[in-house]
Amino acid sequence: MTEPLVVFDGVVKRYGDVTAVKHLDLTIDKGEFVALMGPSGCGKTTSLRMLAGLEDPSAGDIRIGGRSMKDIPAHERDTPLVWQSLALFPFLNVRENVEFGLKMRGVSAPERRTRAGDWLDRMGMKDFGARRIDQLSGGQKQRVALARSLVTEPEMLLLDEPLSALDAHLVIRMQGVLTRLQRELGITFVYVTHSQSEAFAMADRVVIMGEGEIAQIGTPHEVYRAPATRFVAEFVGRNNIFTRPDGREFSVAADRVSVASQRPDDAAVECSFISEEFAGTSIVLYLETATGDEIKASIDEATLSALDPEPGATLWASWGPDAEHELGKG
Amino acid sequence: MRAVLLLYLAAVFVFVFAPIVASIVFSFNSDRFPTIPLGSFSMEWYVKAFSDEGVWVAFKNSLIVSVCAATLSTFIGFATAYTDYRYGFRFKGAYIALALLPPTVPLIILALAMLAWLSQLGLSGTLTGIVIAHTVLGAPFAMAVTRLRLSQMDPSLEAAAWNLGASEWSAMRHVILPFCLPAILSAFCLTAAVSFDEFAVAWFVSGLNKTVPVMILEILQGNVDPRINAIGTVVFLTSMTLVIAAQLLLMAKGKST
Repeated sequence: MTEPLVVFDGVVKRYGDVTAVKHLDLTIDKGEFVALMGPSGCGKTTSLRMLAGLEDPSAGDIRIGGRSMKDIPAHERDTPLVWQSLALFPFLNVRENVEFGLKMRGVSAPERRTRAGDWLDRMGMKDFGARRIDQLSGGQKQRVALARSLVTEPEMLLLDEPLSALDAHLVIRMQGVLTRLQRELGITFVYVTHSQSEAFAMADRVVIMGEGEIAQIGTPHEVYRAPATRFVAEFVGRNNIFTRPDGREFSVAADRVSVASQRPDDAAVECSFISEEFAGTSIVLYLETATGDEIKASIDEATLSALDPEPGATLWASWGPDAEHELGKG
Repeated sequence: MRAVLLLYLAAVFVFVFAPIVASIVFSFNSDRFPTIPLGSFSMEWYVKAFSDEGVWVAFKNSLIVSVCAATLSTFIGFATAYTDYRYGFRFKGAYIALALLPPTVPLIILALAMLAWLSQLGLSGTLTGIVIAHTVLGAPFAMAVTRLRLSQMDPSLEAAAWNLGASEWSAMRHVILPFCLPAILSAFCLTAAVSFDEFAVAWFVSGLNKTVPVMILEILQGNVDPRINAIGTVVFLTSMTLVIAAQLLLMAKGKST
């Protein structure tokens, strides 16, 4: 591997008495699609803002391309950000918005026009150059924001929950657009989100953060199948968490739990049926054990109609021993 | 109940506007005294009023004062509003309260204080003195208008400009100022109107350099003179134009956000 593009080296961020980022060590490679993911207040957005130079670390250092970013102001970094609010300039038209970064870098007017035009074309917004921002739909604004950030041909693109304001069907489409763009350009994407589905659908590597620290780093598959701690198991997807008599914890993914109305074997757990939730093609059953623990089981529709449980009905939940995943302390 | 309220509202409008309308009507009346029935339509009083060189001088003074005071007020108002928007600091509440204080001081007290202070500076009786006094009066209005506009701005907008390579000054010039432009123009019109109309402070401070409202009082003290109606109509139309322009700018800006 060559020198990583971005290095967070023991980065700490405090606001008065509040510590937003406790201690962050993270390297991001060239051309990687990394998602920083976690509940609100976990420090993911603060980390992104520090990378862009919009906040200064209280301690530690951030290096981009091997160069320390200490005392490098935001406007001298090449770290364009796609904002949650998009932050398009309402007093400029679409083309002027896209040209803004080039203008600030002193690119001549004819060249700005050509390059902005190329990017609008690429984003399927060719005929929208003269439009006002408030005449665009949410998805179109998104494309303009992307074009505005990418027109300067940066080495990396930062994205701060860019899809959170979109309708569900548009989110899926924009995920496709983003993934394709990242592959084609071969540049680094650092994507901040609280949405597991967005992060898992696009990222090469997921960084799960909680309370200002990294809880786990891994591919979406690793994080999903082998959560490192209880925090990750609870945050990521539908995991059941159990405590062994010796106090150690393990998780079982909901889709590894099978449910039957007759006791299948000795290991099965007796529970009563609480409720069901439709999640696309699968259904999640919420069960309760005799000791009051909740068990989530993801099953398909055929299984549900075969069971057809009444609330309070007795069901048996079971899983193979290989479905049990030990959780670390954290 | 609703009808009573509407009636009350109508009565308020009549009470406020009747004297102004009467003044405008009588300014075009050929009779020397404001009596009903009206005489014939006439521009006589306008011709008489504006053939007096003193009236022209007063208008020129008012124009100079209001343009200068409006420029200064708008600049100070913008700077104060931006400081409030951008920075957090200790005693910020006190800072804002101080910036918004002048309109809460009764005009006569402000006028007296201005007279005392400007005399000490040797600026009493000069146009510069009136400009300073009117800037004090106008700046809080300019600040309020700009502050409102800044509060409508996406908080990420300025940072987005930095992020795209704009230095602090570039971001000010290419993002903050264009965004605030309607409010800045509106504040300019509004403070110009405040200055153009203002009588009490100008009367105390002006001395020989009379502005239009001061001159009107001096004519009125002499006798009933229909020229006053003519001059008053011009002043009213000027102020109304400025205030309406300010309001239109404020409304247009609401749409573009």
